[in-house]
Amino acid sequence: MKRSALDGTQQTNFIYLLPGLLLYAAFVFGPIVAALGLSLTSWDGLTMPRWVGLGNYADLFSDSRFYIALRNNAELMIFYCVLPLVLGITLAACVWNLKQREQLALRTFLFLPYIMPTAVLGIIWAWLYNPAFGPFNQFLRAVGLGRFALPWLGDFNFVLPAVGIVATWYFFGFCMVIFLTGIQRIDPSLFDAAKVDGASARKTFFWITLPLLMPEIRVVLLLTVIASIKSFDLIFTMTRGGPANATLVPNIYMYQLGFELNRFGAAAAIAIVGALLTFAINFAIHRLVGARSKGLA
Amino acid sequence: MSRSSNIPAALFLRVVLWLLALVTIIPFLLLLLTSIKSKADVLKGAFALPAYPHFENYLDAWNAGHFNIYFWNSIVVVIPVVAASVFLGLLTGFAFAYLSFPLRRTLFAILTLGMMVPAEAFIIPLYYEMRYLGLINTYAALIIPQIAMSIPFSTIFLASAMQQLPEEVLEAAVLDGAGRFYILRKIVIPLMIPAMSTLALFLFIWTWNEFLIPFILVNDDAYRTLPLGMLFFQGRYTVNTPVLTAGAVIVIFPLILTYLVFQRRFIAGLTAGATK
Repeated sequence: MKRSALDGTQQTNFIYLLPGLLLYAAFVFGPIVAALGLSLTSWDGLTMPRWVGLGNYADLFSDSRFYIALRNNAELMIFYCVLPLVLGITLAACVWNLKQREQLALRTFLFLPYIMPTAVLGIIWAWLYNPAFGPFNQFLRAVGLGRFALPWLGDFNFVLPAVGIVATWYFFGFCMVIFLTGIQRIDPSLFDAAKVDGASARKTFFWITLPLLMPEIRVVLLLTVIASIKSFDLIFTMTRGGPANATLVPNIYMYQLGFELNRFGAAAAIAIVGALLTFAINFAIHRLVGARSKGLA
Repeated sequence: MSRSSNIPAALFLRVVLWLLALVTIIPFLLLLLTSIKSKADVLKGAFALPAYPHFENYLDAWNAGHFNIYFWNSIVVVIPVVAASVFLGLLTGFAFAYLSFPLRRTLFAILTLGMMVPAEAFIIPLYYEMRYLGLINTYAALIIPQIAMSIPFSTIFLASAMQQLPEEVLEAAVLDGAGRFYILRKIVIPLMIPAMSTLALFLFIWTWNEFLIPFILVNDDAYRTLPLGMLFFQGRYTVNTPVLTAGAVIVIFPLILTYLVFQRRFIAGLTAGATK
């Protein structure tokens, strides 16, 4: 029954396990369970919580603002997931047979946004998009496209793509890096064989590279989908969900209901719906895309 | 034959790639440029060069903008978070890699849950918990939850690294009669240095960039970390773009430096962790 030569009695084994697990239980797992409980109550943060069962959830699903938030989130997934995936895989296919040094230099630049704090990126982009003195509109005017110099973050129709592009810019280099290592993992003799058979670059990409990159595609989808559902920092610092709910997403709504309106039960219900959505999508991606991975357990 | 027609195409492709790289970093270049302009320079256009560099913007951000406080707070938070998370990750990782205990699968599932559920989902109970403990507006509010949130990743990252260690070495040490703490300290940890430093690198960047925890758990300016300081600074200084951008450079400069120095380790860890 011993797991390894180092295994001991269960009492002594717990010495290693407990410090980390206790801290995790107290400040992460406990609050998660508490959020679940809180979502079943009505609570203003001051008086005793009042049990309302699934009332908060029922309210949410008849709340038009919640549907707006979900729809915005779905639209943002184009910018968080689809565009970075497509761009990243295309770039990886273009970059991988360049010389090492050039590859490294391109990677260094393209990956740079990913290490930045998204809250600060939001503030920087709010400045870049500023209608009066923002560099983005100045550039458009300078190249004669002045009529397209819109108040990007104030325009009801363009604000969502304007915010979304920042997410794409943040993620596509990261996706490229993941796909690059994926391509390097592929047996080079497959590419040689394709070349000998006279396959075009396009055919090689669609029949060899793409199918063999399935594990990486799955990882990228998982990470970007989770990121899109938990999106808060970037949107909060750029638009706070506005104008007129045009960039409202569930977590911004959660913040407004909880910390601005003191409706903590309803806010917790949004948080739980978001977590459930994450699980569901996680499960679906694991099932639909590529093989299952080996776990530690 | 096909080669000669490929050369212009390949060249075109590379031009496009480099243009894209340039577009990607232009926001950072603009930031740097604007941070050394005067207010009057800014009015001349975003791409115009200043007559001479105005480094006093950095002094303004540092002193009047309180970035000295924010920077110090970020350091005070990041160091214990990284150290404690790596240490606790070693202990729990050791347990998951080598030891048997009841409810192993359940505990593992509960840990992975914490990696999937974002902090946004449990921030309300966490806020009231910290308030109950009297820790709102303290360094402890910034440090303790951050360590707890790092434990799942640290554990799984280090446990899978430990599983790759040659078992014979550990068995030999056990046969020599060495105790487990001794083996952990003298054999496992030295072999874990590369994995530990990659982990430390990730934890540093995540903690440095964290927004929600300090945003909700701290509202006293004296405890704000850099990203938070930046947000409140923006509220006060929207018109003073040069000082605002100087502040942004102060936030991201340590990140860029760390990234350039440790890039290979960072990318290797990222892709190894991601494709596992």
